[in-house]
Amino acid sequence: MPYLIHLAILIGIYGILGLSLNLVVGYTGLLSVTQAAFYGLGAYATAVLLTTTGLNFFVATFLGVLLTSILALLIGFVLSRFRGDYYALGSFGFNIIIYSIFLNWQSVTRGPLGIPGISRPTIFGLNFSDNLPFLILTVIIAILVYLLCRFIVNSSFGRVLKAIREDEQALQVFGYRTAHYKLTIFVISAGLAAVAGSLFASYITFVDPSSFVLFESIFILAIIILGGLANLRGSLLGAFCLILLPELLRFVGFPSDVAAQMRQVVYGLILVILMLYRPQGLMGEYKL
Amino acid sequence: MGILPQLILNSIIAGAIYSMVALGFNLIYSTTRFFDLGYGAITAVGGYTVFWLYKLHGVNLPLSILVAIVVAGLIGVLADVLVYRRLRARRASTMVLLVASLGVFTMLQAVIAIIFSSQFQTLSSGGSKVYGVWGGAITEIQLIILCTAIVVMLLLGVFLKYTRFGRAIRAVGDDEEVARVVGINTNKIIRFVFFVSAGIGGLSGLLVGFDTGIEPTMGLNLLLKGVIAAIVGGIGSVWGGVLGAFFLGFVENFGIWQISGEWKDAIAFALLIVFLLFRPQGLIKK
Repeated sequence: MPYLIHLAILIGIYGILGLSLNLVVGYTGLLSVTQAAFYGLGAYATAVLLTTTGLNFFVATFLGVLLTSILALLIGFVLSRFRGDYYALGSFGFNIIIYSIFLNWQSVTRGPLGIPGISRPTIFGLNFSDNLPFLILTVIIAILVYLLCRFIVNSSFGRVLKAIREDEQALQVFGYRTAHYKLTIFVISAGLAAVAGSLFASYITFVDPSSFVLFESIFILAIIILGGLANLRGSLLGAFCLILLPELLRFVGFPSDVAAQMRQVVYGLILVILMLYRPQGLMGEYKL
Repeated sequence: MGILPQLILNSIIAGAIYSMVALGFNLIYSTTRFFDLGYGAITAVGGYTVFWLYKLHGVNLPLSILVAIVVAGLIGVLADVLVYRRLRARRASTMVLLVASLGVFTMLQAVIAIIFSSQFQTLSSGGSKVYGVWGGAITEIQLIILCTAIVVMLLLGVFLKYTRFGRAIRAVGDDEEVARVVGINTNKIIRFVFFVSAGIGGLSGLLVGFDTGIEPTMGLNLLLKGVIAAIVGGIGSVWGGVLGAFFLGFVENFGIWQISGEWKDAIAFALLIVFLLFRPQGLIKK
């Protein structure tokens, strides 16, 4: 049972990450491979604030989201000048640069040692130090994120995003300043990823750079491609499948080192097979 | 004096390695017009094939290296036949190809880690000769890397320019449709390009293995440096890639002169982003 709760919390966190990335990749059609950087920024901001100042978790999360959004504004501004493959490569670059900062800014992040002793959230006398209440908190936040995303994609703003994906130039002819829309959705997406980061940091009570490598971004991308691009429920389904899959592999009885690598083989295989046979994913509405 | 000659030497060695990776990458890009990330894992294939033959089974060195290049080349062809060619036939967008190649990369890297464990290994049996050049030091293997890179560059340059096959490759790169109409077997040409590129990738991977060592994840770093070099130099241009590689080598090594070496990757990507912003066509425009 504790094991199932653990998995459910992870599904919730990765569900939030998938939802946030789908706004950019699925709805707006920008292949961003840097979500782990924002996830990490949220996690580190929360970790540093909680361990050094003893702020409340929710205040720290809010500040983490704010910080991440500001940085995302800068990064998104640079990325908005690229398109297609170059957008993907540039976003790769930012993931690696931010990872380098986590690794090398020793005085703040403690480098490869990571930051231990992050406290669990408390609010109004409620304490989330047990995993079951933490799961409830995660589910509530995931639902809020889902509703927010649904509101965004169904609004007129969301319709403009989809139009950018289909034909950006035509939209520019109609006088839409598409760069503003792309930047806005990028910042919102990064902020939501930071929320997932805060939850992760406080759940594991420890952060280190290895959780936010480029591969993590690829994993989040695999979640939304599997579940379906431009489909919010698809992101949740993708998180569900890709978190549970390695657990199934574990039951097959591989030794742990091999099991970890088998996971990657399976993720890679999923990407290849989907691209070959179903590039829109299981529930998707948009093909890359 | 003091550190400067060494910095210059280090930059040149790094540039030589990157230029080989960039050559292979550029060759694939200029014929198929997509960023083949799977190419990164091929470098590790080269390194590990030599490790398996030469270190574990005592096969003699030249033969091991030759086999490694061929194995790497064949895996490159395999990726094309099983995945990329089908996607191209369906006119999939370059994004689909990019994601598929990311999948190929992830799989290959993990398979290598399963077979050989993710431990770091060295290929050289220690103690290579060190030469002094202008007050800096260069090891024998680094000298070999430099010479190999120059030979590969020249051979490829001559091959592309003066042979029928080379001209056919350039024709496919300019326009696959037209090339097919005038009777070029484009699939055969592209298969060949994948073989040559992957072979060069495997060669650079095994050379890195002799210089610093091999691990299953070595491909990502080499690939990204190769891609950055190719873009900085001018994507699709063979000589541009070489120029970009040496430029990147110098920027990286002089960049970390005053700060710690772990920032190398960040510096490389900062360079990429600056170029994408201010000179997206690269140093040499094709």
